[in-house]
Amino acid sequence: MVRVKNRYLVVSLLYPAASTPGVAVVPVAQFHAPTPDAVHPGQFMRMLRDGIAELFGNYGAGMVNNALKVNYWSPATSTAIIRCPREHYQMVWAALTFVTKLPKPANTPVVVKVVRVSGTIRKAEEEVIRRAKLLIQSAKAAESPQHDPMMESVVRAVDRRRELESTVLAQVDPGEESESESE
Amino acid sequence: MMWSLSPTSILAGCQPIFAQSSPVPQPLPFPTPSRLRILRRCNIFLTDAANNFRIPQLQQHYDLIGARPTDEKTLQQACASLDVDIISLDLSQKFEKHFKYPMLGTAISRGIKIELCYSQALLSNDATAKRNLISNATQLIRVSRGRGLIFSSEAKSVLGLRAPSDVINLASVWGLGAEKGKDALTKEARSVIEFSRLKRQSFKGIVDVVYGGEKPPVVEASEQPQKKQATQPKDQKRKARNSLEGTLGEEKPISKRQMKKNKKANEQST
Repeated sequence: MVRVKNRYLVVSLLYPAASTPGVAVVPVAQFHAPTPDAVHPGQFMRMLRDGIAELFGNYGAGMVNNALKVNYWSPATSTAIIRCPREHYQMVWAALTFVTKLPKPANTPVVVKVVRVSGTIRKAEEEVIRRAKLLIQSAKAAESPQHDPMMESVVRAVDRRRELESTVLAQVDPGEESESESE
Repeated sequence: MMWSLSPTSILAGCQPIFAQSSPVPQPLPFPTPSRLRILRRCNIFLTDAANNFRIPQLQQHYDLIGARPTDEKTLQQACASLDVDIISLDLSQKFEKHFKYPMLGTAISRGIKIELCYSQALLSNDATAKRNLISNATQLIRVSRGRGLIFSSEAKSVLGLRAPSDVINLASVWGLGAEKGKDALTKEARSVIEFSRLKRQSFKGIVDVVYGGEKPPVVEASEQPQKKQATQPKDQKRKARNSLEGTLGEEKPISKRQMKKNKKANEQST
């Protein structure tokens, strides 16, 4: 039997305008504010559907509609995993790029960043966990007041090293290369 | 850090003021990371083709010169003759004519990059502006054949910025392949900066001394006469010279008897 193939987009929500003046935030965690509780995945999904319909019309909405689903939603870390059909994941990604505001009750300005495009949900989950760990580590390192000369030198060395492309660009799983290019 | 060099982070001094220095303060009034290179960019609005823009003067004060043509004539001028680094069109308006390859091709072959700004497509509430931007962007991608393009945000706030891979995806949806989209964000953006730097600093924009090296140590004068002695006068025939060398040469092979003597001496000493 032929399996229906999907792509899983690991998405992180960034809040550039969220820095409230009263609360001092670590610079690392500045954009990574938690998502307001008023937003639930259903609303996000509706917003995404509307976005796809706006960008790609009825054709896009119809192509994407039956596979689109939020598999994982974490307001605390502002990450989500979104499932979409493999042939049209670029449409969903573009629609996510065009999102500027959270749905109605929250209405916060938001930037949606796709962090990883994965073919299996397991890899997507691993990526979510890895990201969360990294964020916590860097926040802790920035928060701790005592100076450790050894740690500092390590941090400096890492800072000096050029950032690898893989850390900046989202990793996109291969497969369907020829088809996506011919589109 | 290469990513920080992409045009999204370029500080723009918008007004072409012909003062002695640029309006962007030289040490910036806020702290910056040590490894961040900040570039100054001047955007010139081309309204009249007959105007003299005094670009050489501007080039001394800015790292990058961008041109924004407002109509067909100025676009033609910018592509063909103006000495700018970037042509950035206002994509949210509708152009009367289609872009033509010969015009943009000359610009690209001269090393001028064409800038596509995506932020207005994301933020503007005007649906026609969005539509125009997408149609213009796809046309530019088609006409330029994916070469000589750079993506930048033209964002007025942080909200208009997107992550590089998001931009690459957007480009591939708009008809630029993923590979060329990546080039537009990384290779082309860097080449703009290096090209403009070469224009400013190098000899006629071609030769640049990266590292001159040290001066070679002065050869000692005493070596010269010795060599002269060793060389033979030229009027002698080769055979005769060879036989002479045999008698004169310092590197005469040691005779077997001498070798044995040496060996014995060595053994005794150890």
